[in-house]
Amino acid sequence: MLVMEDQLVYTPKDFKSSNEVRWCPGCGDHAIMAAIQKAMAGLGKKHEDYAVISGIGCSSRFPYYMSTYGFHTIHGRAAAIASGVKCANPELSVWQISGDGDALAIGGNHFIHTIRRNIDLNLILFNNKIYGLTKGQYSPTTDRGFVTKTSPFGTIEDPFIPGQLVLGSRGTFFARAIDNNVKLCQEVCEEAAKHEGTSVVEVLQNCVIFNEGVHAEISNPKTRADNQLHLVHGKPMLFGKENEKGIVWEHGHLKVVELGKDGYTIDDIMIHDAHEPSRAVHMALINMSLPEFPVAMGVIRAVKTDVYDEMMVKQIENVQAESKIKNMDDLLNSGDTWVVE
Amino acid sequence: MGELRLMKGNEVIAEAAIRCGCDGYFGYPITPQSEVMETLMIRRPWDETGMVVLQAESEVASINMLYGGASTGKKVMTSSSSPGISLMAEGLSYLAGAELPCLVVNVQRAGPGLGTIQPSQADYFQAVKGCGHGDYKLIVLAPASVQEMNDFVDLGFELAFKYKNPAMILTDGVIGQMMEKVELADFKPRWTKEEIQANCGDWACTGKKDRKRHVSTSLELDSELMEQNNLRFQAKYKEIEENEVRYEMIDCEDADYIIVAFGSAARICQKSMQIAREQGIKVGMLRPITLFPFPTKTIEELAGKVKGFISVEMSAGQMVEDVKLAVNGKVPVEYFGRYGGVVPTPGEIVDAMKQKLIGG
Repeated sequence: MLVMEDQLVYTPKDFKSSNEVRWCPGCGDHAIMAAIQKAMAGLGKKHEDYAVISGIGCSSRFPYYMSTYGFHTIHGRAAAIASGVKCANPELSVWQISGDGDALAIGGNHFIHTIRRNIDLNLILFNNKIYGLTKGQYSPTTDRGFVTKTSPFGTIEDPFIPGQLVLGSRGTFFARAIDNNVKLCQEVCEEAAKHEGTSVVEVLQNCVIFNEGVHAEISNPKTRADNQLHLVHGKPMLFGKENEKGIVWEHGHLKVVELGKDGYTIDDIMIHDAHEPSRAVHMALINMSLPEFPVAMGVIRAVKTDVYDEMMVKQIENVQAESKIKNMDDLLNSGDTWVVE
Repeated sequence: MGELRLMKGNEVIAEAAIRCGCDGYFGYPITPQSEVMETLMIRRPWDETGMVVLQAESEVASINMLYGGASTGKKVMTSSSSPGISLMAEGLSYLAGAELPCLVVNVQRAGPGLGTIQPSQADYFQAVKGCGHGDYKLIVLAPASVQEMNDFVDLGFELAFKYKNPAMILTDGVIGQMMEKVELADFKPRWTKEEIQANCGDWACTGKKDRKRHVSTSLELDSELMEQNNLRFQAKYKEIEENEVRYEMIDCEDADYIIVAFGSAARICQKSMQIAREQGIKVGMLRPITLFPFPTKTIEELAGKVKGFISVEMSAGQMVEDVKLAVNGKVPVEYFGRYGGVVPTPGEIVDAMKQKLIGG
């Protein structure tokens, strides 16, 4: 921590706790934590302005490793507990850390309702498409047909696409990042923190032990330029090693085109509008998948609307202002009162 | 003799379920019992017997899938470990209230809360005193060996259907994870439609052509009628207490002192008994096999013959309350336990017995 002109300046190191980090060597969680610590250091808040809430799972060990307030709580319930923290103390910057099992299986109910209420918290969803802590059973994001300990012949269930759930729950912020791009993780976490309302960041995370290489096609340094589309608000949707490819909207659908081919020019390429209230294009971007499309990364949706905890405080203030009851004596003398003689 | 194998307790639960004609298993991964579902998935019973195996999205979903399955007269089961069983408390209360049979296996770990994944017996109260809300009981079986893990699956279903009530196998991480020789049961086919009609025809979804309409529910808003329902449940629990008490007595004939212990604690206490007897202390053991119904009468009888009891548990002292109720002040009743995931050693049990019960 540096003191510059009477102001505290935090570094990512200030957000590291003294606890030994017990994730497996090579686990994607290490990089995501580094990104979040960098993001927090840059937001100008103090340690004690943050509360990090987790449920149960490998990623849920997160609070132990952070030099902030933190609760390691109940499987699936982190969203409800984080909501309680934020409503009880709206001053805190509340961050929920959950895995795909914690947030979307047992916690699916709380996940959608927290987003629907638009409580101002940042929900970082570590998606490795497996239950890691219980050693390798399929999760609600595991692709159909995938072999795990509880699906030795392939799952017969279709997975959730987390962004679809967020939009279906009237979500106001959704971003996607990947664990081997710390800079991107940091950027989207900063944007999530700045957004007022529930911000969901899906981080594609590699589980080296039980699901090694699950996102390899997306993360591979050799192919990622072609397989990832980095969205920036107000910028054209270009991708490829030389930015030679782009996304156009044709006949109500997204389409991948090459610049200079079939008559497509930069003017045809869609400009990303993260602030567009309509969900149609954002949903289409969330749905893009390999091999037909690159996978959309960055802030896909960031729409400002009313925030629950602000409205709650305002409503209490309004009711208090309009009420004739200003103190305990007013209350005791209100309603049906009589004198005992 | 049946097929002999060396197996883990959790694996045996899965194998026994297939062999006893179980129709459906619904579960959610949790340590230390995830092997139950993993074994079932790899065994593919749906090909062999038609048994369904489903990984639910939570324990709340699992127990309610049991509620649905049980309503159709099928043999349905789940397994979990302590925190997961807490999530099933609501469903268990409703199942008991709707008088539906099912089998729930609790491979206990230490709590409270998330606790640890190490073994424990601290869910005794939860299992035998109800678990969820309202006046109801679970039939609770406590295996002390991998063999009993095998045997109690079929027995659990038998009792659950006989009394139209959820049954629970209350075991722990020691028995769930350890490997022992086991004689597997022979295969029993799943019940046919006709057998379900014959066994559960007055309440299951089998059609009401020849009977009154039945609604599987625990709801009755008329208090007078709800009291009648409760009286019927209480009569049933009394019948269970009269007919289904199971226990094992070891070296109690000449004993001055009795250890009361169940499950894995009873296994450790067998060694403690041996050590004590070598030191000239006449110790016997009463091992409750059913925790509800509890062997109250047997303990009451023993209380007239011995100098004292010690309840040895991997909890902070839960079953000791039931032992005290049974002994009713006739002789001293002490407790010794380790908990929070710590397993007691045979030696420290002997020391505790000497210090607390015998004196010196």
